[in-house]
Amino acid sequence: MDATVEMNMEKGFNGENCAPNIQERLQKRNQARIEDAERKKETKQSQSVAEEKGEYFSNAFNTERACIDELLSNCSGADRAVVTQKLEEATAKTLQLQKFLSDSILFLTPYELSKAQAALQKLQSSIAETREEAMPKKKFAFRGRTKASDKVSAKASAAAPRDSAVTKVDGAPNPKQCGFTNMSNELLTKTAEEVLNQDMLLTHLTNCKVRLYGTPSTLHLKHIDNCEILCGPVSTSVFVDHCSNSTLVFPCQQLRTHHTTNTQVYLHVTSRAIIEDCHGVSFAPFSWSYPTLHEDFAVSGLNRDTNNWSQVDDFNWLAAGTPSPNWSVLREEDRKTFL
Amino acid sequence: MGLRTILKKMKQKEREMRLLMLGLDNAGKTTILKKFNGEDITTISPTLGFNIKTLEHKGFKLNIWDVGGQKSLRSYWRNYFESTDGLVWVVDSADRLRLEDCRQELSALLLEERLAGATLLVFANKQDLPGALSKEAIKDALALDEIKSHHWCIIDCSAVTGEHLLAGVDWLLDDIAARIFTSD
Repeated sequence: MDATVEMNMEKGFNGENCAPNIQERLQKRNQARIEDAERKKETKQSQSVAEEKGEYFSNAFNTERACIDELLSNCSGADRAVVTQKLEEATAKTLQLQKFLSDSILFLTPYELSKAQAALQKLQSSIAETREEAMPKKKFAFRGRTKASDKVSAKASAAAPRDSAVTKVDGAPNPKQCGFTNMSNELLTKTAEEVLNQDMLLTHLTNCKVRLYGTPSTLHLKHIDNCEILCGPVSTSVFVDHCSNSTLVFPCQQLRTHHTTNTQVYLHVTSRAIIEDCHGVSFAPFSWSYPTLHEDFAVSGLNRDTNNWSQVDDFNWLAAGTPSPNWSVLREEDRKTFL
Repeated sequence: MGLRTILKKMKQKEREMRLLMLGLDNAGKTTILKKFNGEDITTISPTLGFNIKTLEHKGFKLNIWDVGGQKSLRSYWRNYFESTDGLVWVVDSADRLRLEDCRQELSALLLEERLAGATLLVFANKQDLPGALSKEAIKDALALDEIKSHHWCIIDCSAVTGEHLLAGVDWLLDDIAARIFTSD
């Protein structure tokens, strides 16, 4: 630069030498400009990461997706162990892809994002489909205890599909659970010793009168029709499901009532009672007295002075202010006392 | 330093975790939450909506969401999925009749993409009841062995006595911490 300036000063007034001089200067300036642009480009490149480009993302995403698709398509017809391994790999890859997408959210356009999400969802469902196809779910069931000697053969056959002789959970008898099931037209009672701290289960009872003296830990009633069920203080929760035309009498901490119609509940509840999918359920205060009731209350730990029997929450009726049409307070003249 | 690293560092600084507690109604979710927090459990009502509790444990700040499990509330569970670090699935181990329901609800949850990164802790609750199934039986009934998409663990516990609640939560925190705070 200095040289140019000097030259300018020396020959500044010399018209002949002016032209090449200017040309030279222009050339130098142009050179500098190009270098500057180059430098800027370089710094910009060093700052931005190749991974944070929509194009890079969609390329990587699609490659990975194709890879998973291929894994899945190889599953049909393959043997079980191979399928398991391939499915596992596909699931892991899908998870990775999901993570990749979550990490890339910031620089993706909403369109690219939703496209990728849809693709992922499709992958997940096709994994599920392939799994369903290749290895149908094992049905859970309780079986009799296998003896030690049987265990080896049981293990050997574990990979094979279970036979159809297994019983479903619903019908499984449980030696440890206390209660009554599949009875009609009977008077059923249990003593305080039998009931103490048990989880009581009463199912499929019709036209029965049930008296449970004492304090169970919890009580479940299911598929009850036209029964009168009286129970001592239940220290935790009572769960009622599919009960109709019946009378239920008990103290408890919580009561959940489902799918119940035309039923009267004589209740002592220390927290709250709720109903869900019920019609025509009416509530009254607990009114059964038997000789050891007072002691049983003490054993259960329930507070005898707190009874919220009339504060029922209906999960199908959340409008505050208007009372639910699904339950009512039983009129005093219609209430009974049980002995 | 990528954005992810920055976010990770921020989270690490706060050491905050969001836990979502779900399960069928009457499983004992609220009782677990209150017992863990040392509160009275004799006045708990069926949850009409949700409870949220923020507590400190092992140097972490835990935001625990306990959402009601009644059938009519289950469709709202999805509203709580966002940024969940750990899912606590609570099972009434004595309620054999609804185990199949329980399995279905859980497997539907595990397909949720917003829960894809969450660690799963299954509490086989109510072990204080004589009729309670063992955690092995619950594991089979819920087909937990088939879960490949999530880190999971099953712990048998009793919310009433408090047994194993701590063990479960500790496992969950360790797993989440290993995932978000230390892996790089």
